[in-house]
Amino acid sequence: MEEGRVLLRTEGIFKQFNGVTVLDDVDLEIRYGEVHALMGENGAGKSTIIKIITGVYAKDGGEIFVDGESVAINNRQDARARGISVIYQELSLVPALTVTENIFLGQEIERRGLLTKKKMREMVRALIGRYAFEIDPDAVVDSLGMAQRQMVEILKALSMDAKLIIMDEPTSSLSAAESEKLFDTIDGLREKGAGILYVSHRLDEVYRLSDRLTVMRDGRIVAVLDKSEINAKTVTTLMIGREPRESRARSGRDLFKDNCLEVKHLSYGKLLKDVSFTAYGGEILGIGGLVGSGRTELIRCIYGAAKQDGGEILFNGMPVSKRIAKNIRMGFGLVPEDRRVEGFIPVQSIEKNIAIASHDRLSKFGVVHARKETRWAEDAIQSYDIRPKNRNTPVANLSGGNQQKVVLGRWLSRDPKLLLLDEPTVGVDVGVKADLYDFMRKLAQSGAIIIMVSSDLFELTHISDRILVMHGGRFFEEFTHDNASQTSVLLAASGEHTEEGRAL
Amino acid sequence: MKFKIRNKTVRRIVSIGLVIALALFFALSTEAFLSPRNLFLLLKDSAYLGLIALGVSIVIIGGGIDLSGGGIVCVVGILTSRLTFTGLPGIVILAGGVMLGAICGAANGFLIAALHLTEFVATLATGFVFTGMGLLFAYRSNGRISGNLVSKSITNKSFLAMGKHINGLYWITIVWIAMTVLSHFVLIRTKFGLHTYALGSHEKSAEMSGVNVARQKALGFVISGACAGLASVMVVANMGASAASLGTGYEFQAIAACVVGGLVLGGGKGDTIGAFIGSIFMLLVLNGLYKFNLPTYWQYIFQGAIIILATAFDAQFAKFAQKRRAAESAAQTAA
Repeated sequence: MEEGRVLLRTEGIFKQFNGVTVLDDVDLEIRYGEVHALMGENGAGKSTIIKIITGVYAKDGGEIFVDGESVAINNRQDARARGISVIYQELSLVPALTVTENIFLGQEIERRGLLTKKKMREMVRALIGRYAFEIDPDAVVDSLGMAQRQMVEILKALSMDAKLIIMDEPTSSLSAAESEKLFDTIDGLREKGAGILYVSHRLDEVYRLSDRLTVMRDGRIVAVLDKSEINAKTVTTLMIGREPRESRARSGRDLFKDNCLEVKHLSYGKLLKDVSFTAYGGEILGIGGLVGSGRTELIRCIYGAAKQDGGEILFNGMPVSKRIAKNIRMGFGLVPEDRRVEGFIPVQSIEKNIAIASHDRLSKFGVVHARKETRWAEDAIQSYDIRPKNRNTPVANLSGGNQQKVVLGRWLSRDPKLLLLDEPTVGVDVGVKADLYDFMRKLAQSGAIIIMVSSDLFELTHISDRILVMHGGRFFEEFTHDNASQTSVLLAASGEHTEEGRAL
Repeated sequence: MKFKIRNKTVRRIVSIGLVIALALFFALSTEAFLSPRNLFLLLKDSAYLGLIALGVSIVIIGGGIDLSGGGIVCVVGILTSRLTFTGLPGIVILAGGVMLGAICGAANGFLIAALHLTEFVATLATGFVFTGMGLLFAYRSNGRISGNLVSKSITNKSFLAMGKHINGLYWITIVWIAMTVLSHFVLIRTKFGLHTYALGSHEKSAEMSGVNVARQKALGFVISGACAGLASVMVVANMGASAASLGTGYEFQAIAACVVGGLVLGGGKGDTIGAFIGSIFMLLVLNGLYKFNLPTYWQYIFQGAIIILATAFDAQFAKFAQKRRAAESAAQTAA
């Protein structure tokens, strides 16, 4: 595997679904020993091209070359035989089995009908040694963290002699520390000459890892950038096809002083130590900080989903209850971090998901007024432009952006007084993002308090009226909308004081 | 590296400890309990339940459930007792009974793997069917099926020999122990075993890794059926007759034995040794209560209570195990 040689090349890949062209003339090239990033908005065709390379979809035109040789890849086995492996977002490991058993599952080595456990373990150990992974071949997968589980997935791919490893949003379920571990793993793979196709929404990761970046838009490749050419502005421009509009200068916000949330000396486990702030109606308060810095716990305490160890939370002068139902009636709402787990009920319809928090208004004596509920949902679908415009569609079938509109719509339709948002636009495409920001702005203007936790620096600095950055369990610096820059917020989150921010 | 006891081992120690504690209690409080004769009988009765539980445990490890065990025991028992009058050697009849049980299990497997019925519904239904088929062939006196032992006693000597004992140790007990050892070996050392655990722990992942999930599921039911068939033949040989009520309730007793022995409904955890210990435990309770001359309804109440306690313990234990794992994982990340 000499470095720099072309590993995989596609030429003029063309694909249609029901007459709609989803990939047009895609020429992708991945070399040995490079991390090749692939970016694009949702629907740009990233997943489709991956599925064609790995034999899940059949292409309608074009050619695939591996090591310069034209190959036919008709199913997953063909791809595997050519050394192409995918690490999926949902891992394909069996928790009850050990690392070794997982790696050899489905391709066990037997002698006279018995498993050759020792031999398999030695092979895994050799593989682990070669890539300098830190993992015990006898550890039960259930006891491993997410980053280590991904290592096992990667080992599994390598055990099948994978030379091209495709990773689709691999950090989406990892903490910051675990992501860092994964990046080290990827660096190790690159050093050994493997090719990696890395699909991600996160520019900081792409910047950290990739040697080259292919940007896709509307089923076409719009650019292939070298490491030196990768910067936020260029990439977003290429992805979106237009300059992100700058709207920094803007008129002052009216604060509604009669709607206020006060948090005093809040502490929670090791994460929060003495957190205090006051938020008023009319403003969008952004909360910045690194992943795992306690931001999520802070808003969960406010909502009543977690119980603080010390300190108090006052809403318009009254202590906040620890009962979520009561807080919802007071006008609270929460858009949680992981919408799939906590945000909505996947098998239930849009209607049921929107109405679920409003049964206090939609029912009498415990019986839901069906027509009222339908009207309630129809109104929300219209107001928030949820697609498809069919209230009976299960939310699981919606795109990420529309799922989030459902979760947000549930609260907006109640005219909440305090809306807590945790990473509100993760996995949401750019068009829907703008809609979500509009809804938030309108709600704020109507007098509600909005508190938004976000790791997306662009979002944080552009949408928030005020930003509090968390570090070491307390608020570290405060920024106003006008003086917040992405760099300064990131610096503050890492524990460095900045000129723009006000130290707290 | 610090010596660490695996969670599995802790659970095993707990179930063995329970058996010993209960046995000690009965030994101290009743005189008849510790007599060799009573202990051999206890092991014989445990073997009957234990063989069924052994088969069921393989289905449970694979993430399924088998409610047809009692029905299979019934139909196999009645058909083999008829077969004895053909004069065939006992070993052939044994093979026929096991085969018949396996065919019943294959029917379950077909419904589940090919027609995609849920395990619970499929085996609940076939359990009825198998029991009914047993009764269809049961001996009748004056056109009526006798509820208890059918009047016609088995005379086939080579068949009856399988129901005898060697110095007090019954053949069914020997077969049970051998089968437990064999099945444990198969589960731990073969591809079949590995795939069973994979199936029960995470079906989707197993499928993604190339495990033939449908075949694996069906095989589990075939084994479970064969084990029930084996239990049935051995117990009929011991009783020297078959009964229309043969096997009634044993499907649930077997599941209870598995649960007590540390198998988790939902799959991926436990082993056939657990089912072995669980079976002894269930019979120990029955035997001990019998020695106290308590009415039979107390047995039901005790058995029910045991299942509740065992599952409640497992729920608490799972939390404890989770904590241990988390601590371990944190230590790893730190290192």
